[in-house]
Amino acid sequence: MGHSFYILLIFLLTTISCKSQQLTEKSAYIKSVGDIAHDKTLDKKEFYLCDAENIIQYHNDYQGLQYKGEKIALVNTFSKKYVPTNQEEDSGLIRIRFVVNCKGETDRFRLIAMDNDYKGKNFGKKVTRQLISICKSLDGWIPKKLDGRAVDYYQYLIFKIKNGQIIEIMP
Amino acid sequence: MKKYLILFFVLLPALGFSQPPNCNVYLYNKDTVQYEVCKSIENVPFYQYTKEFQEEFDKAIKKCPHFAFGYQAKATAYLKSGDFLTWKYLIDKAVEYDTLPYIGYRGWCKYQFFRDYEGAIKDIEFAEKRFGILNAGYSAAGDYHLTMAKAMCYSALGDKQKAIRIMENLFTVTDYVVGLFDYYQLAVTYFQVNDLNNATKYLDKQTAINDLAENRFYKAKIAKINGNSASFEKEKSEAIRLYNTQKILFDPYTEHLNKVYLNTIAQEQYAN
Repeated sequence: MGHSFYILLIFLLTTISCKSQQLTEKSAYIKSVGDIAHDKTLDKKEFYLCDAENIIQYHNDYQGLQYKGEKIALVNTFSKKYVPTNQEEDSGLIRIRFVVNCKGETDRFRLIAMDNDYKGKNFGKKVTRQLISICKSLDGWIPKKLDGRAVDYYQYLIFKIKNGQIIEIMP
Repeated sequence: MKKYLILFFVLLPALGFSQPPNCNVYLYNKDTVQYEVCKSIENVPFYQYTKEFQEEFDKAIKKCPHFAFGYQAKATAYLKSGDFLTWKYLIDKAVEYDTLPYIGYRGWCKYQFFRDYEGAIKDIEFAEKRFGILNAGYSAAGDYHLTMAKAMCYSALGDKQKAIRIMENLFTVTDYVVGLFDYYQLAVTYFQVNDLNNATKYLDKQTAINDLAENRFYKAKIAKINGNSASFEKEKSEAIRLYNTQKILFDPYTEHLNKVYLNTIAQEQYAN
């Protein structure tokens, strides 16, 4: 009887221990790939989201990038405002991802960059500061709807840079 | 029969590479571990961006570290969100563990999402050498043959003559079915080297199979060069009409090569 009691006790302790381990084990992921959490050191305090828990992707409505005057309008803005650095080391791709809210306003800009071999790299600040600044100035984003409901969405722009000049803008 | 069966299973992912694999191929190759993980993810009910989706595939990869499809599936959300660093790490794993079904797809994605023309050409040529041109594969949405995509990469890099040769050659391949935008892309390439006769020939062919606003825009440009104002106005007007009915080059994720915007069409004047 005593022997069985100890076996049961060990079993229960092991089970509880495993469960508590599962409960405390953190996922390596945030809610969705590419989610951007609010950062009070970087982002606007007053940025409004219609539904902060359900920010969709720009392609979820099958309408693609939606900008007043189409993509060429924002490409022209970069052509006018961006000053090339003409530095050979400023080559590769830069992605700036951000949120467009249900009113067409933007915030939560985040940047990643790579060289031409898909290796992470740091571009010169003369490039990145300009790109971020021009991105923040873009005011033609068209609010999206999904099933008739106004939604917030993630958008990104990728800049193909060669010798400090913008060669192409994606998507 | 066995040979054809193997060929079928090998080609299947290359032809429809965004689809989950047929798990039986692993069983056929006596890879029961990969078969089991393949079955375990067959009906994962989560959107590819979600943490639940990523975790399900992590579990599968943990059980079977050479599960190439698992890496490709995980990579998709990173691709669509523009995260080239994570995407490349994951898709390279897929190609490393099962090269043939994924290398053409990787090449297409390099072109479509990152305009990495050189990288795309390299991967597509690998697929062409192994499968032959006809069976090299298609773009993720199926609207371009990979050899067509390769030609478009050469065109974007400025090698227009090579692009033209590749496209013309592709159209002569037995059993090749011309894609929805093939004639347009070839026509524009001819236009870019001032071969207006061939440009017109292929714009007309495009009109016959799948008329597009962009197609009419180039017809208008040629009419202008030829000094035909009536034809210019007619084609321009038709281009605008087609644009407003969404008969355009469109993709929900990215932009087609040689896309023309409504404003560009509207601003094209006979006098300028």
